[in-house]
Amino acid sequence: MTSIHLSQIVKRFGDFTALQEMDLRIHDGEFIALLGPSGCGKSTTMNIIAGMEDPSEGRVMFGDRDVTALPMQKRGVGFVFQNYAIFTHMTVRENLAYGPRMHGAPRAEIERRVVEMADFLDLGAILDRPSAGLSVNILQRLAIGRSAIMEPAIFLLDEPLSNVDAAFRAVMRRELKSLQQRFEQTMVYVTHDQLEAMTMADRIAVMDHGVLQQVGTPLEVYNAPANLFVAQFLGAPGMNLLPGMLDGDGIVLEGGGRIALDDREVRTARRATGRDVVYGFRPEEARMGEDGVTRPVSFVERIGARTILHMEGGIKAVFENDVAVAEGRPVTLSPNPGAARIFDAGTGARLEG
Amino acid sequence: MTRSPAFHVFRTAALLLALIFVLIPVLWMVSMAFKPIQEWSATGDLLTWWPRDPTLDNFRYIFGERTSELIVALERTAGRPILASLLSSVVGTAIAMLAGTAAAYGLSRFGSGRNLPLALIQLRLFPPLAVMIPVMVMWAYLDLIDTWWGLSLVYGIVTLPFAFWLMKTYFDDMPREIEEAALVEGCSRFRVLTRVTLPMMRGPLASSALLVFILNWSDYLIALMLTTREWVTIPVYMASLSSSMTGQLYGAKAALGLIAAVPPVILGIAIQKHLVRGLTFGALKQ
Amino acid sequence: MTDTTGRTLPAADPAAVARTAVRDAKDAGGGTSTRLGTWLTLPAQLLILFVAVFPLLMQLYLSFTDWTPLSGRNWTEAYTLWAGTWNYEDVFADDRFWGALGRTLLIVVVAVPVEFLLGLGLATLFMDEFPGKRVLYSIMLVPMMIVPAVAGYMFYLLFQSDGPINGLLSAISGQDVAIRWLTDPDLAIVAVMIADIWQWTPLMFLILLAGLLGVPQDQLKAATLLGAGPWQRFRTIVLPKIKTIIVIALAIRVIEIFKIFDTLFIMTAGGPGVATETISVFFYKIMTLELAWSYVAAAGLVVLVGLSVVAGVAMAFLPKPGKRA
Repeated sequence: MTSIHLSQIVKRFGDFTALQEMDLRIHDGEFIALLGPSGCGKSTTMNIIAGMEDPSEGRVMFGDRDVTALPMQKRGVGFVFQNYAIFTHMTVRENLAYGPRMHGAPRAEIERRVVEMADFLDLGAILDRPSAGLSVNILQRLAIGRSAIMEPAIFLLDEPLSNVDAAFRAVMRRELKSLQQRFEQTMVYVTHDQLEAMTMADRIAVMDHGVLQQVGTPLEVYNAPANLFVAQFLGAPGMNLLPGMLDGDGIVLEGGGRIALDDREVRTARRATGRDVVYGFRPEEARMGEDGVTRPVSFVERIGARTILHMEGGIKAVFENDVAVAEGRPVTLSPNPGAARIFDAGTGARLEG
Repeated sequence: MTRSPAFHVFRTAALLLALIFVLIPVLWMVSMAFKPIQEWSATGDLLTWWPRDPTLDNFRYIFGERTSELIVALERTAGRPILASLLSSVVGTAIAMLAGTAAAYGLSRFGSGRNLPLALIQLRLFPPLAVMIPVMVMWAYLDLIDTWWGLSLVYGIVTLPFAFWLMKTYFDDMPREIEEAALVEGCSRFRVLTRVTLPMMRGPLASSALLVFILNWSDYLIALMLTTREWVTIPVYMASLSSSMTGQLYGAKAALGLIAAVPPVILGIAIQKHLVRGLTFGALKQ
Repeated sequence: MTDTTGRTLPAADPAAVARTAVRDAKDAGGGTSTRLGTWLTLPAQLLILFVAVFPLLMQLYLSFTDWTPLSGRNWTEAYTLWAGTWNYEDVFADDRFWGALGRTLLIVVVAVPVEFLLGLGLATLFMDEFPGKRVLYSIMLVPMMIVPAVAGYMFYLLFQSDGPINGLLSAISGQDVAIRWLTDPDLAIVAVMIADIWQWTPLMFLILLAGLLGVPQDQLKAATLLGAGPWQRFRTIVLPKIKTIIVIALAIRVIEIFKIFDTLFIMTAGGPGVATETISVFFYKIMTLELAWSYVAAAGLVVLVGLSVVAGVAMAFLPKPGKRA
């Protein structure tokens, strides 16, 4: 168990900068998710923590220890690969025993540790089965067990659920979370799936284009996105963002319409570097009303539990139950009180009151 | 993973050594091919790595020109052996590819000829000389000795295993949905083969044919047994080249060797992606 | 494959199973399609019959006679020269035959391991990225594409006692080196092996590199993270994964060396004396110089049966080819 500190990490591949001055502190025993679209640098970050890649600049600290120059086999890091990287030519037992065996542990001790780990993970009954052809959740458990047997201070998981079909992910997520609680290890989890990050992580680090955008608990990044990228990336669908101009006690929207702000929101909006701001509200935080944003409905998605309105200008609204609207007819959305997030159109940063 | 500088030095040294080992025999023959008689017949200290006075004399000589007072012009030039090599290899390749592709398709799609895979592997297992006697007797009986078609026929069957196995793995790999769609459209099985499958298999067919051609072109032994004079191939002709006055005609032989070596090297590099599959009978698909 | 606690991997796709079933029914039921299959395989079957099965029967027949092309009789009348099992008795008592077989085995035992180790070493180096890799890869494949007879001639030139190899050795050692590579009985076989190693290490390299590239990188990284060093990784991950490929590569080389003729014949013609006479050269010489065709027919069959037995035993012990480990 240990904390991790990435200090001013830069990673360049030739001319391409994969990571820009990344600074991240991961607490001891924390489950943190690195979340972002593909190519955002999250896997590079993880590889640098694991020691599979060297940073171009900056330091990697485990607790007080500088491990930047330490080769990967000496970092004491458990790594769960995207496809689990189970040694398919070995049995479950041989997979579990691999780490201790490579470290030259005595036979009796290996046997004891393997049985212990197998009991802990409910793998006891299949110890002597060949590992090829096992089901995914067993493979996941085996991959974690194979690393955990070395008692690593840190667990790194590289999109372990991306090869699992959607219906089964919920089961896998629950299992992974409960495993993490039992092991109490620091876990770093890379994913592009916000649902995984939201449901499992203690904190989420959102990344884009090699830049760390925001770090916070799932609800923090959801409710208080630091910038336009996070606002749009999180949530399904993402936040509605309407560019506009501050005008007295309201915002005149670019596509037409005006949104009235309360005093606090006006104060917030005045912090913008220019007069241009972006007004944001979540699709699920609006109702149909008299004044607000009026746009024609381009199409209505009814998925049973919810109804999603797609309106012109990319605006979306989510309702708990069916609503009587017709495609092509204009609808006026009134954001709920307090739902407004106001961003600086110049910097993209959210303005706080 | 980062490697130590010592490893870089070691790797560079090892690769350099391998490169030298690979290239020396080739370069020496190339060098000999371009040396004039005074140089290729030199010994001891007079021997040089590179021709001091590069010339095309050796190439001119094997095509019948008298290039030096020291050696008499050739009675039989290289033109005919080159033709023999080309003709027998191309026709042998055609036989192997036609029979092999058809049989591979028959087995892959209809399960016909289940004896073929093993029979053809066995065919590759045996040293040709151990089974050459009856072929020679038959060929003499059928008047096929020293004819290009007689040679082609043997080439066709010797390389049939490669053509068959390669095409079989390609057919097995090909998704059948396309053929099934054509069948549903009302095409006959034969039309599906000629209009759908074979056009799709153009790439595999070409690379297999080139590999089979290389193998046929590379033969020495079979031509040595089955041709005597009219239709000897390049390697047989090359081995027989000598002059009563100078003995071995090193330069001329080197020039011929170069002519024989160039086509398969170029073709082989062109199809290098398919070589593993081809030379392991499709066991490895890379 | 299904486990009580989980689900199967994607393998079982019901739609694919259904498609296969339909396809099988169609192929088995359709009389025209099976007939087409038979027609398609017919040329290959005829070729095998004509150039393999029939000749083998003829060879068996001739091996029990004393027939030679000089006996002035058509081969069909060879029974008039019936010899019973004499040829076979001669084969088993022929020291020259067993000597040739022994030398062939010697080349197998020396050249194949050297080719394997060099090929594996080279393939390992090619697992990394380095400048010029693609060009070097192509160059490394050149020897195996050289016509073997021409390769034989290359080494014939190199190993002349006044040739460049001795020239090189002289230059290095500073004294006049005149090693009789091709005419000294002990060295000639070494020269022949060097030529074989030169020509066929690339094949090992090619096949083994394909095998190494098939070893999942993730599993190697996982092994490294679990503390395995390079040698341990090779022994516990790489070797088990490329086992089948190694067996295929070795089998191909052993079979090919049993056929070795072209290179060797051009270099030494089996000489000096019988110093480099392999089984193929032995057959060739008895056939062309002594014209003892029925004897060669018998000896050839002995080799055939021997190889088949060895191959059969080997197959029984080996994993199925084509199946990846």
